[in-house]
Amino acid sequence: MDARLPKEVEDARTAIFVKGTHTGEVLNVVMRDLMALKRPNAISFSKKNPIHPFDSNTTSISSLEFWAGKNDASLFLVGQTTKKRPNGLTFVRMYDGQVLDMMEVGVDNFAGMDSFKTPKSTPGHKPLMHFASELFDTHPRYIQLKSMLMDFFNGEVVDSICLPGLEHVISVTCAPTPASLNNAPVNMYPNQHPSAPEDVSSLPKIHIRTYTTRLLSSGTRIPRVELTPMGPNLDLSLRRHKAADPELLKQAMKRPKVKKVDIESGLGKKKKNLEVDEMGDLRGRVHVGKQDLNKLQTRKMKGLKGGDLDAEDEESDEEQEDETPRKKRRKQA
Amino acid sequence: MDVSNILASHAAKYQSITVEKETPLEVDPGFLTVTDLNPIDEESYNENLEEHLQSLARDGIQALYASLFTLPTRTSPDGPLAQLPPPKTQLPRAKPLPKPKPQTKWEAFAAAKGIQHKVRDRKEWDEERQEWVNRWGRNGKNKQLEEQWITEVPLNADVDHDPRKAARDARKERVAKNEKKHAQNVARAAAANPRDARKQDIEKTLATTRISTASMGKFDKKLDGEKKIRGVKRKFDPTEKSVADEAKASVALLSRLESDSKKTRREPQAEESVLNTRKAVRFASKGRGGLALGREAAGGRSSRGGRGRGRGGKR
Repeated sequence: MDARLPKEVEDARTAIFVKGTHTGEVLNVVMRDLMALKRPNAISFSKKNPIHPFDSNTTSISSLEFWAGKNDASLFLVGQTTKKRPNGLTFVRMYDGQVLDMMEVGVDNFAGMDSFKTPKSTPGHKPLMHFASELFDTHPRYIQLKSMLMDFFNGEVVDSICLPGLEHVISVTCAPTPASLNNAPVNMYPNQHPSAPEDVSSLPKIHIRTYTTRLLSSGTRIPRVELTPMGPNLDLSLRRHKAADPELLKQAMKRPKVKKVDIESGLGKKKKNLEVDEMGDLRGRVHVGKQDLNKLQTRKMKGLKGGDLDAEDEESDEEQEDETPRKKRRKQA
Repeated sequence: MDVSNILASHAAKYQSITVEKETPLEVDPGFLTVTDLNPIDEESYNENLEEHLQSLARDGIQALYASLFTLPTRTSPDGPLAQLPPPKTQLPRAKPLPKPKPQTKWEAFAAAKGIQHKVRDRKEWDEERQEWVNRWGRNGKNKQLEEQWITEVPLNADVDHDPRKAARDARKERVAKNEKKHAQNVARAAAANPRDARKQDIEKTLATTRISTASMGKFDKKLDGEKKIRGVKRKFDPTEKSVADEAKASVALLSRLESDSKKTRREPQAEESVLNTRKAVRFASKGRGGLALGREAAGGRSSRGGRGRGRGGKR
């Protein structure tokens, strides 16, 4: 039970692969191959489950939340094939035992791991991820997709990694952006207008490819990389989705307070004029305003006093006298 | 000498590991992720999809490797470990941030007194055996006194004094004391939350009322979802009992009714501080009490002002 308590730096998310009421031949293989990539943080529910995450009339959401609690998992991949939506995969992400956001994709084309007679990656090794398209920075649907896939395969924060252990690449590329998507203003909050359903057909397809890497010597420290297709290869199209509740997302995005040592080593909000010297001491620079040399008090001599200056000097003397007792009084109080 | 060939081959070598794009690639080494924000070239996409995707991915991964191989490394038995910077991309957490744990009484005291936490080694050096031994547990050093083959017995010891049993009891007592302190810390942490404290209070009262009938609640009407109280049994005194025993039990009961030790202990202290003043005074005065301490302080001051001979002069 202690292992399930919240941690500051979280472990990799565990994903549960759930089969819906009907999964076709394609989806079975897709889920098996995706699970091979996700292992060892994957749990398979091989029996059929009446799960319809987007149908709010059913108890699907509460079932998902129950499973998440039971298995200490925070990701779901639900496979479901229907006549209306063939070969649908639903990614569900949880936060604190509640559903955070959901995303449904349809599998249009698929080539499994078996169809490539090439070396495969070792289970448990972290993949490298590659996203290519400007939509991953601009379109909310694709931002969600990127975030979801990163969380799915690579969400664990590690402080060091063994470089020879990097074996495979998951590459996510969009089809060319259609002109309609480039020009039309993007509706940032499609969830707020459920009456007008989104036109998903205009959204470009997504190609997920997996490769293994081969490192060739280049004569420099950095090797040259060559890729070999590994499989599974998926062509996906976006379907329904549910964006995260802003309030819940805000909670989920909270970061732990940055420790003092980390701030000194340059993490977090950049502190100006602070640096750590070789001895590990924190040194600061203080800005002192430019000195006005005209007001510099030089040695007073009677001979130097003019008529006007004299008057000013007396005034300033009086001021000084005024100030000093006030300071004393304050100290006493 | 014509070096253009050498230069060209050198340039070719570098070309293979450098990636030039219109928009520079966004590399996030913390998550081993690279994002290519250039628009997809429609022509090559339509021409040969797989080749296009692979070349795109290769360029991106090459850039990622370039940044990974320039990270500072640490050697390990499995090969070089690259120290990854914290990720730039923000992903939602799976669980909320952990709540800070309430301080134990010792932690509060140590913080007030500025006592640093010292990690205690699990092993202890054994002078006789000249090796490291467990501090506790199997063959632990804390059991040395009760396991050694010969033990000194004090002169004034009882006839039935068993030094091994005494040592064992003392050890068990220390463990029990630690467990008690732990339970108190847990209870204090629960009491810090008024909701929990109230809940506990209600549960306690309910449990008391439920066993307050002659049958200890056996024939009471059960409510829905009511849990069975465990570990409650009716106990009967034996019907025949010696008069002495009966008198003893009655006196014990009466004295319990009379004494108000529990009441006084229940009353909350005037100030809840981490420092136990009574204990501190006892410690500072070496058990002679606060009055003695005050007298000593006053005497010390007068003597310092007077003859300057200190405490010796007063005696």
